[in-house]
Amino acid sequence: MEFTLLGSVAVAVAGVYGMIWWEARRGNAANCTKNLWDIAMAAIVAGVFVGRIAAMVADGVNPLVNPGDILIVRAGVATGWATVAAIATAAWLGRDELWPVLDGLAAASLAGLAGWHAGCLTRDACLGAPTDLPWAMTQPGSPVGRHPVELYAALVLAAASIALAWWRRSKPPAPGTAAATALLVASLSRLATEPLRPTLSGGPVGWYLAGVVVGTLGIMWSTRRHRAAAAAGG
Amino acid sequence: MPRRLSALIPALALVAAGCATSPSNIDDIAELPAVTTGEVAALVAESGRPVVLNVWASWCIPCRSEAPLLDRAAAEFAGTVEFVGLNVRDSQTGARGFIAEFLPDAEFTHLFDGAGNIPVDLGGSRAVPLTFFYAAGGELMELHTGVLDERTLALQIDELLARG
Repeated sequence: MEFTLLGSVAVAVAGVYGMIWWEARRGNAANCTKNLWDIAMAAIVAGVFVGRIAAMVADGVNPLVNPGDILIVRAGVATGWATVAAIATAAWLGRDELWPVLDGLAAASLAGLAGWHAGCLTRDACLGAPTDLPWAMTQPGSPVGRHPVELYAALVLAAASIALAWWRRSKPPAPGTAAATALLVASLSRLATEPLRPTLSGGPVGWYLAGVVVGTLGIMWSTRRHRAAAAAGG
Repeated sequence: MPRRLSALIPALALVAAGCATSPSNIDDIAELPAVTTGEVAALVAESGRPVVLNVWASWCIPCRSEAPLLDRAAAEFAGTVEFVGLNVRDSQTGARGFIAEFLPDAEFTHLFDGAGNIPVDLGGSRAVPLTFFYAAGGELMELHTGVLDERTLALQIDELLARG
């Protein structure tokens, strides 16, 4: 059994919990009666489960014959399917209050992703492509300086999470806009840092592009819908 | 959606996933040559290329999980990096069955160490999976204990190639 991811998981869960708590204190989720923490945890578990099975199938490992392998999360989780499953789970559990729930989880999901990336520090997994920049980091015993690419992603996502929470407090966006913005920012941050990551497969760039498109369309749709509703209301 | 129908969807997904693999025949896989520590050390030193030495066993669940990743890496870096699989504390039948199912066409040199002492002699431990990363010439650059993920494997190979 592998436990080396637990540090990253702990930091990610702390990020989700911290942001939900902070937004609740600020009254950001006042129009949502659901327990966002419960929904977030269910979405994370569903995402990892589906993503792991998808990764096994893609690698040609039969999850029916090898069910124990599902627990070996470190061997790979298909990011795209995991994201789809997590969003679908949150939407299903919050279907009575769809937009308040998804918007309420938007900043928390970015904080959780930031925590996941920052958790690389707990398992020496922050390094990416070689660079000569002054802040380059090296493996122990190696002369090769490298981009701390996971820390770049963590910083961008943490800043976006705080900005989104602040935006929701100062000028509440149209319903659905915060959720779509979170998807857009998460996809963009991964897309922008992917070229710096060491990879065998090139990374799930297609999924990131899909996230950018869906996030952008979501922002446009929710804003237009909000304007139409406001115009109809007088 | 009715609750029974909701429960059926993941079950159908698992059944569909179960159709994804088509293991090769174990009879197509040759017996693995039994080796000594000295022979493995010589293979690594005389390879002329960086060597990724992966220690595995057929009873090791994490080994199954990382096998497809190693298969992909071996194909991508064929001719540049040598991949060696060292089966430990296992039977020939178990080892061949594992290769037939997970690594049938891999660009791997498969070796057999029934007692499982070679990884310890090389500076590792009795844990599996275990992966040694050697620079060309045989210097040990990194020893990774536990299952490999794609980022780690790609980074360590990049380190081997960057250091020549």
